[in-house]
Amino acid sequence: MSVEDDVPSLIEPSSILPAEGDAGTGGTVPLTIICGFLGAGKSTLVKRILTERHGYRIAVIMNEFGDTATINVSSPDDPGAQSEEFLELANGCLCCSIKDSGVAAIEKLMQKKGAFDHILLETTGLADPGPIASMFWQNEELAMGLGRDIHLDGVVCVVDAVFGRKQMEEDHAVDGIGESLRQIAGSDVILLNKVDLSSPEELEITEDMIRGINPVASVYRTVRGQIGLKSILGVDAYASRPFTTASLSQVETFACGGDHQDCGHNHSHGQTHYEMRGISSLQVDCPTLTSTQLARLDEWIRTVLWESHLPEGETTGSGLEILRCKGMFATEDGKTYILQGVRNLYEIAEVEGAAVSAAGVPDLGKVVLIGKGLEEPVRRSFQSLLTL
Amino acid sequence: MSATPIACQSSNCPNGHPPSRLECPTCNKLGIQGSFFCGQECFKANWKTHKVIHDLATPKQPLLNDPNINKDGTFNPFGAYKFTGSLRPVYPLSPKREVPAHIPRPDYAEDGIPTSESRKAGQPPRILSQEEQDKMRTVCRLAREVLDIAASHIRPGITTDEIDAIVHEATIERNAYPSPLNYRGFPKSVCTSVNEVICHGIPDKRKLQDGDIVNIDVTLYYDGFHGDLNETYPVGRVDDDVKKVMRTARECLDEAIKLCKPGALFRDLGKTIEPIARANGCAVVRTYCGHGINDLFHCAPNVPHYAKNRAIGTMKPGMTFTIEPMINLGHNWDVAHWPDEWTAVTVDGKPSAQFEETLLITETGVEVLTAGKRRDDLYS
Repeated sequence: MSVEDDVPSLIEPSSILPAEGDAGTGGTVPLTIICGFLGAGKSTLVKRILTERHGYRIAVIMNEFGDTATINVSSPDDPGAQSEEFLELANGCLCCSIKDSGVAAIEKLMQKKGAFDHILLETTGLADPGPIASMFWQNEELAMGLGRDIHLDGVVCVVDAVFGRKQMEEDHAVDGIGESLRQIAGSDVILLNKVDLSSPEELEITEDMIRGINPVASVYRTVRGQIGLKSILGVDAYASRPFTTASLSQVETFACGGDHQDCGHNHSHGQTHYEMRGISSLQVDCPTLTSTQLARLDEWIRTVLWESHLPEGETTGSGLEILRCKGMFATEDGKTYILQGVRNLYEIAEVEGAAVSAAGVPDLGKVVLIGKGLEEPVRRSFQSLLTL
Repeated sequence: MSATPIACQSSNCPNGHPPSRLECPTCNKLGIQGSFFCGQECFKANWKTHKVIHDLATPKQPLLNDPNINKDGTFNPFGAYKFTGSLRPVYPLSPKREVPAHIPRPDYAEDGIPTSESRKAGQPPRILSQEEQDKMRTVCRLAREVLDIAASHIRPGITTDEIDAIVHEATIERNAYPSPLNYRGFPKSVCTSVNEVICHGIPDKRKLQDGDIVNIDVTLYYDGFHGDLNETYPVGRVDDDVKKVMRTARECLDEAIKLCKPGALFRDLGKTIEPIARANGCAVVRTYCGHGINDLFHCAPNVPHYAKNRAIGTMKPGMTFTIEPMINLGHNWDVAHWPDEWTAVTVDGKPSAQFEETLLITETGVEVLTAGKRRDDLYS
């Protein structure tokens, strides 16, 4: 037995954390889910994040092989030296195990190496980010151990600019919605990658297709996954806490139905409806609500999200399934609310009054739904609750 | 924990002994201060010389001098762990208790893995048929009997392991399986949580002392269904603030049960529980929640006890679930875990109390399936 073999690793002083009861939400570690089409360039992006000299401690969980996932950590002091941690996966599926072993492995690594600035969860090419996102958005219940809460920052999707359109049109549909469409629908940031290998016309078509399915995500064109980290990490896509002006402007952007350059608020977006193989997005105007209407809105959302049918009981034939929802609206008493939802998990939270007036958005009222079966009856049903 | 860097301790440091905050983990564990090295390479090179310090620091007659070993042969297996309060585990645990072969057991009894629970993950809460509801009534009644029997033995001097034996015997006497046994590897048939332990305490050889509080959490598996309940009991005479946290926990549960009826939202329970805790200078634990319970031990819905949660689900007739608020004295709701990977404790060592019932939503309201006699010591 070589003496060299049992030399333990030096530990850093911050790694022994006496568990402090932190009553507030400050200091929680953001987590970003990275999904993407097969061959789109996800791994290139992840490798770059791990090795670049950005000064952040980032842990990346990768689910490459069947029954294990690896956690790699980038260290700001020595980007070349990465540490690895393996975690066993029950049923070979990361989403099944992430609650038990995934979070536990992250905690263990944080114990050894000190807290992370960010955690990336890389899913396999076919994985649907929705269920995993909703699991992490439930934060507190997951972060057992040293009390280091993990909060969901957002979902990033890498789309292949060359084959993306074909994949979206043709990939094998599972219960009506292709995996690639689910990934786009559930994402907050979309990287249209390998643009150097595609033509401008093809790029236009593909990008329009993406925006049509998901009008609330930010779309960037990239080459070899090169993009500033600030565009994909720290997007705060699930924020319901008091907004910074930056996050509010993102909300403002989506309310305009996309990343339009000069949106003078004169085009009507109320009727936007784009469909791609059964999956579509629906934008509905939402005027200033009375408190009764707000309660009815909450009831509408929870019936649609939890029971997958409209409150009136009528289904739309093709089956109603909401993958993501976002909205911002005001009530008569001057309060502003943000709606955030992924799958059947949602929240309608009040926004700080001060932040709203700072961004100057008086009667903003839009709700965006992305999913399956979003046909006219759905819009009518939503609008009917506004006429109370 | 000093943050100021100290010069590299290596005797043959090639870098000129620069200051560093990187510490030898073995020295840290042994409590040897000042073993800092400038980098892994330097540390490795100096290892042969350095490890001599570890051997010197280790006592020559470890058994006689070790403070973690008691004179009667029992011991604390986690000597290096920074306990948050005064409670210590008292090992060895008694051998695994047997369940007679004729008693039907849940799927995890063999390998510890609740496969049936994983299969149902993500599905909405079950609506039980009339026949199934009756089975729940039966198993919950039996679970209440077992808890009351165990509680009647509480006195200073009894060990939590003896309580485990009592629960185990009473359970198999009723031809039921003690649900905690081997659930995800839990070694015993009941959870006993003393003082600062929030939940999932493992019964061991520690004697209950006058002034302690102890929570006994019993779950039975009978005729294919689970019934789950717990109560916190005083041992002898307890202090006023300890009495307060017990009463507060009971009040939180009572008030939450009053909200339960068809159409009520699971996410609203926390809105009632948290203000009661705050008003009494206590905090609501966030890490552990109530849960659906039927033919599965833990299933949908998830029932948080704190306010502003995103719990999914509306109560419907035929649903069975638990509400089990864990209330900590003081402002810290946070949780730490012992190295046994089960025992959850408060981070400041202050006591924590809990009460739990299994509930059934009926057409008109709620039925408390595990209801027992009113505890006069909890109400003024």
